[in-house]
Amino acid sequence: MDLKTGLVGSGSTESRELDLVIAGGGPAALAAALYAARYDIDHIVLESYQPGGQAALTAVIENYPGIKTITGGDIVTAMKEQAESWGAVFEMASVLSAEPLKDKIQIKADSSTYMARNLIIATGAAPAKLGVPGEEKFYGRGVSYCATCDAPFFRDARVLVVGGGDSAVKEALHLSDFVSELVIVHRRDKFRAEPYLADKLLSCGNCNVMWNTTLKEIKGDESVKGVILNTPEGEKEMKFDGIFMYVGRKPATEPFANLIELNDNGTVRTHNIVHTSRENVFAAGDVTDNDLRQIVTAVSDGARAASAVFDKLQ
Amino acid sequence: MAILSDSDAAEVTKIFGALVRDVHVKVYTQKLECPTCTDTETILRELDGLSERLKVSFLNPQTDSEDARKDGVERVPAIIVSDGTHSRVKFYGTPSGYEFSSLLTTIIDTGGSEEPLTEGTIQFLSDLDTDILMQVFVTPTCPHCPGAAVLASRMARYNSRVRSEVIEANEFPELSRKFRVQGVPRTIVNGIFYVEGSISETMMTDALKKGLEDAPSEETNLLDYLRNEGG
Repeated sequence: MDLKTGLVGSGSTESRELDLVIAGGGPAALAAALYAARYDIDHIVLESYQPGGQAALTAVIENYPGIKTITGGDIVTAMKEQAESWGAVFEMASVLSAEPLKDKIQIKADSSTYMARNLIIATGAAPAKLGVPGEEKFYGRGVSYCATCDAPFFRDARVLVVGGGDSAVKEALHLSDFVSELVIVHRRDKFRAEPYLADKLLSCGNCNVMWNTTLKEIKGDESVKGVILNTPEGEKEMKFDGIFMYVGRKPATEPFANLIELNDNGTVRTHNIVHTSRENVFAAGDVTDNDLRQIVTAVSDGARAASAVFDKLQ
Repeated sequence: MAILSDSDAAEVTKIFGALVRDVHVKVYTQKLECPTCTDTETILRELDGLSERLKVSFLNPQTDSEDARKDGVERVPAIIVSDGTHSRVKFYGTPSGYEFSSLLTTIIDTGGSEEPLTEGTIQFLSDLDTDILMQVFVTPTCPHCPGAAVLASRMARYNSRVRSEVIEANEFPELSRKFRVQGVPRTIVNGIFYVEGSISETMMTDALKKGLEDAPSEETNLLDYLRNEGG
């Protein structure tokens, strides 16, 4: 039986000065925390209320070098335990705002405030909303963004997955073990996902793919009952019990909008991988505009960012 | 056969090193009509041996019906964590996966030396003039669930007007159906309002204040309610 031994952190009402605040709780932040702790940098990690980030929600990870297969939850737990064993300090809080104040950054979290000489933004990205009618209304009532969490509620049900990237295909495969029938709709005529994953889905016994199809509306009463799809043959109404959305990511950069330059899509504008428009602010992982968004690139960014802070403090 | 691996047991022993006072854990299980009771009992028996500060007692709701009534135990398996003076903090279901993490954290909160709640939450709880039941629906595979489960447990541990029940949604499908749970974590407050997801203490106390003051008469998502009412 799988037992997770990591403790849930607590909040804080602290207010103090330190060399580094790391904002985020996913692989990029955990790698930055490990390196910062080993560099003996006075730091704190403000992990959000969704520790582990998107990686924790991934059912199976098979492309992290050196590990054949592992769950997302297990890999981030191992990363956090390793960082803590070297002295990394965590607080359970979300960053509300970050403003420059003289040569430091004033970072306000839920009930604590820090004056940091340096900041690493590793707040990742949240699942993007499609914005179709019914999506908000039925969130938690059949609309989900987390197959790992919610798949058991759809045992023997008919489920729709929206998307065509790695996440959509991976999570559809996870869901197919629970549901009686799964339909995945994708707006293009082939998946963007890794060919290995796409082939696996195409040969899945209870899965059907609808190409060149988009979701127009989610319908229901107290919970989801069906959808209206835009198909190449026109609008089509279909019955479903659950809808899982994987239509991209929205970078979690709102608190930093007045601090550093962002791109139009909300990602942090970076140069030399982890440097931002402000010399004492660094960015790592999915929050950046770096092209590949994987755990392996996130941890690499986190290590680089912590190393850059260390060099600056010398 | 042991459920905790040697490395799990070593890790938990290390974690229990933070206990500075006794923690009382009551475990209600029964043999009949409870397929998950045996695993729950085994896990708690294995935990029991890992710290002298942990005082675990095993009860059966049929034969110990008076205790079950006093403790307000309505289903099994049930685990109650306290300092021995109350039964406000309950877990229903097997403490596996991420629920094990919630249980361990609650044990440390109860017997540790630090107060985990922030000043704002403590103030909210001190001003509370009504009773609250927080039922947090979770699944063992949900990494966001411990945040919501532990927050409710911390509030109930701190204030006698709050009770918390962390409910494994798969093990109690009738209860999940009753509250139309199709996503976790979902915190149901007093059987009427709910909060979807794991949120900060500040957001939770704001939502609770608004929900209790305005008392919506029908099932209402407290976060939507806050947004729509400009709370």
